Amino acid sequence: MPHQELLSLFRTMLIIRHTEEELARCHQRGLIFGACHTYVGQEAISTGVCAHLTKDDPVFSTHRGHGHALSKGMHPRELMAELFGRATGCSRGRGGSMHLFSPEIGMMGTSGIVGACILQACGGGYSSKLMKSGSVAAAFFGDGAVNNGAFHEGLNMASIWKLPVLFICENNQFATEVPFSYSSGIPDVGRRAANYGIPGFEVDGNDVIAVSEVAREAVARARAGGGATLIECKTYRTRPHAEGMGDFSYRTREQVEEWKRKCPITFFRARLLKEFGINEITLEKIESEIQSLVAESRSFAESSPLPDPSTAAMNVYAPRKSLTSHTSLMEQKDPLRIITFTQATHEALAEEMAANPNIFVMGEGIGVRGGNFKTTAGLYDLYGPVRLCDTPISERGFVGLAGGAAMTGTRPVVDFMFADFILDSIGEIINQIAKMQYMSSGRLKMPVLLRGCIGIGHSAATHHSGSYYAMYAQVPGLRVVVPSNAYDAKGLMKHALRCDDPVMFLEHREILTNKCHVPAEDYEIEFGRAAIVRAGKDVTVVALARMVHLAMSVCEQLEKEGVSVELIDPRTVSPLDTSTILKSVAKTGRLLIVDEPPAPCGFASEIAAQVVDAGFNDLDAPIRRLTGVFTPTPYSPPLEAVVVPSAVEIADAIRALVKE
Amino acid sequence: MAQEIIIPRLGWSMEEGTFVAWLKNDGDFVKRGDPLFELEGEKATQEIEAVDEGILRIPLTGPKPGSIHKVGTIIGYLVGAGESPPEFANHSQQVKPAVLNTSGPPVASPSVRQLARKVGVDLSQVKGTGSRGRILQEDIEYAKANLSGECSGTVIPVLSGSDNQRSFIASPRARRLASILGVDWKLLIGSGAGGRVRECDVKAASATLAHGTTPAGVGQRIPISKRRRLIAQRLLISRQQTVPVTINTRVDATNLVNIRNKFKSMNGINSIPSFQDIITKLVAEVLKEHSMVAGRWEEDAIVLPAHNELHIGMAVDTEDGLMVPVIRNVAGITLRELAVQSKSLVQQARAGKITAAQMQGGVFTITNLGAFGIDFFTPVINFPEAAILGLGAIKSEPFFLDDGLMVPRLQLALSLTFDHRVIDGAPAARFLQSLGSAIANLELKENFC
Repeated sequence: MPHQELLSLFRTMLIIRHTEEELARCHQRGLIFGACHTYVGQEAISTGVCAHLTKDDPVFSTHRGHGHALSKGMHPRELMAELFGRATGCSRGRGGSMHLFSPEIGMMGTSGIVGACILQACGGGYSSKLMKSGSVAAAFFGDGAVNNGAFHEGLNMASIWKLPVLFICENNQFATEVPFSYSSGIPDVGRRAANYGIPGFEVDGNDVIAVSEVAREAVARARAGGGATLIECKTYRTRPHAEGMGDFSYRTREQVEEWKRKCPITFFRARLLKEFGINEITLEKIESEIQSLVAESRSFAESSPLPDPSTAAMNVYAPRKSLTSHTSLMEQKDPLRIITFTQATHEALAEEMAANPNIFVMGEGIGVRGGNFKTTAGLYDLYGPVRLCDTPISERGFVGLAGGAAMTGTRPVVDFMFADFILDSIGEIINQIAKMQYMSSGRLKMPVLLRGCIGIGHSAATHHSGSYYAMYAQVPGLRVVVPSNAYDAKGLMKHALRCDDPVMFLEHREILTNKCHVPAEDYEIEFGRAAIVRAGKDVTVVALARMVHLAMSVCEQLEKEGVSVELIDPRTVSPLDTSTILKSVAKTGRLLIVDEPPAPCGFASEIAAQVVDAGFNDLDAPIRRLTGVFTPTPYSPPLEAVVVPSAVEIADAIRALVKE
Repeated sequence: MAQEIIIPRLGWSMEEGTFVAWLKNDGDFVKRGDPLFELEGEKATQEIEAVDEGILRIPLTGPKPGSIHKVGTIIGYLVGAGESPPEFANHSQQVKPAVLNTSGPPVASPSVRQLARKVGVDLSQVKGTGSRGRILQEDIEYAKANLSGECSGTVIPVLSGSDNQRSFIASPRARRLASILGVDWKLLIGSGAGGRVRECDVKAASATLAHGTTPAGVGQRIPISKRRRLIAQRLLISRQQTVPVTINTRVDATNLVNIRNKFKSMNGINSIPSFQDIITKLVAEVLKEHSMVAGRWEEDAIVLPAHNELHIGMAVDTEDGLMVPVIRNVAGITLRELAVQSKSLVQQARAGKITAAQMQGGVFTITNLGAFGIDFFTPVINFPEAAILGLGAIKSEPFFLDDGLMVPRLQLALSLTFDHRVIDGAPAARFLQSLGSAIANLELKENFC
């Protein structure tokens, strides 16, 4: 190894060590507001691995990520300023110790959730494969992550798709305070790779040269299309899990002292002097430089401004883009263009895939089969297996992967078939995908389309009928779309495939074959724009998806009875177009919200609360909600029929409301 | 503990009052019974006495002279030494008695409902005495006892349902529109659930009000005065809450006219009794025997006045509109005393100097349109009284004697409106018959004068 390279490794390890020790001091002095997980004792690993990565190789990291960020090239002052909660921090004060972002140098983020980085690195690898960029993604994670499902799903996906990924397990022997010897049936991690059909290595994580050599090979293999490698680096953190925590309830002083004697920096320094003939003066000069660098970094951090509180909710979503106009398209009525809901979304997807080579679809049976609901029929033949990617039943895995792919420049579409299956991946959606734009101060875009079928009917029973859109609408960063007809579905899907936000696109199974006129022209429907499905003057009814059709079916009869219904379809639950609803209530004075899922904390409750807040004086009667029964969905038809609002119930609710 | 000082209700229908002035300063020690502030009620201004003791604390946001406040508004506190008053802003502007909120289904616990089913009592017909009108076990037992027809003395218990059709609720939208259109929604009968006033009710009321007004620029718009609004409100409530029936008769007024003429010819009489004074005195005598006509319908009983409580109101036409001052204990004073009092009350009423207290406590009212040549009419009961007597003109009319001979005779037209809830037709007729007979057979007796 050339001297320059060796000294570079030495420099990086020292930067990490000195920065961490300074942060530990600062933590004790109360300058750090939250947690501080140091990397002391593990410096050789990130240093040895990142030495082979460029800024275009994305790194995904874990809660103990200071070392990864610094190895990837982050300036210590950006790291320190972040822990000091400053506007100049790498995450602009949004993250702290566990959420370090610097996508400009390929530092794609550290995470407080164990295992997520494994899946995101798979996504980084998938982007590389799709875009043929030649980049290699790396995930750093501790021994605590390897007994998590993400490890299993991630390594399996990386194997079957031959993804250019490095899985770097830093086995420091404790998952927080639980020993790995207790948590795992076998003491080593590297050999698990064999079970997934990828190369695996077990190296001394305190030997930077050993780590570097294994990583060099793995990176080269990945760049050459040889797929992923698992590298277990055996090491030890010589400071507590987090600064300020007690350390000797689960390990002994003697053990810690013993590992301090195995310090990777001391060990490497000695080798530099003895084996590589580097003189003491050179090393001392580097040491002194780095001491100054860290001191300067601390004063930079301390003198940096705190973030402006008025910016606290910035970058939750991507900036709004201009839209393809769709005015007057509704007027055209080409009879040949009366198509189904599914045909409309298929049209949108097919057109966008043709226009944007970075769009790819993942899901079970969406490849050759064309999707359980024909969502991707025929597209496999056009675009092949990389863009129409059939998946194992690994919902958390491929959703986490989709997140990582979006972070690295592609546009994944996850087709869940049934939206009930989303719940297996909910942590990836809520903790990672939805938060990523915010946590990265808008520097990462998250164009992930998550689609699936919702809705009760045809005895689908309780694991194939859930909607849960109200729950998703509670998550800042997500868009939640629930179309009711083919025209809207096409325009909304087009918008979803062009916007930079993660979108939950939920399609009610009972209306997939409903037809309406859909223009062949390209058009988008912006989120947060309700449709006034039917104008009326006596009562406002708000509904989504199938409930729009049920409500519509009773309007004529009610009109004959002298009750004029204004029917509003918000089309998106998040953002919710309350202004159209309020305007309607200002006209009618009465509001009924019809919703298929159960009532508590739901879509109807939210609208009711907003209307009471902003439109109290417009109300001439109490707001009524007609919702599904608070129960899992039963199977047998007579049971199923009574748990969702019926047309008769809707009509009766409207009649009762008019009499209030 | 801090005691709240609130705007009291002066008179039964008062909804709001005009604050005139504090009679104590912030920080003064106030003894129970001290005059605390002046409040203008339905017409009169009253000094309000302190009902508690303590140091007066007036919030900065407290009432200003001339400001109008709803009954129940907290305007200050009496606190102990060293105690600070509660935050004024935290108190709602209006504290309504619980009874006003009894819309919707009756509130009762499951065990009470079960008892009601068991004993066959309709919950909707029971007035709850618990917190917020909750129906308690004893209410059911009481209702059951009354269904069985138990009664005692002159207090006749009745089953009181929610017979009050007047609205105490309105939708926010209706309130807003009412405020814009200047309609008092509290006067409306709501068409919504539980009597809720809705937008359509306010619109209809507004259209009715607007109907008949001349186009802008031709006629005149007279703003509705507080007094006019109050009169309207009281009359409307009477129509809504009573079951009025009017019966008429003519009586021989020869003696009445003669006696009045005698008074006129007497020397040294300051106040010559009017026809109405004489009849008022006779009414009191007849009411002693027909006390149900002076009964007052209350929530759970009809309350009859004692003989010394036969206070009779007299409808007085003033520039401000109708007022009804009350002559106290008519049975206990002489006709001459009565005449002096009635003259004084009429003068005070017309001068706007009458107090709220002088218009309270009546058990029966007499109204007189005879001076305008009116014969019969249908007077409106002065709620919560049970009956009102309308005096028509005294006219010489043909009268057939028993032998068929027609002679001219002075006849007085009488109209009695009574609340059929309280009295049935026959007893009301017997009262009017007795009164007619007393007028016809009037003699000038010493004790009468």
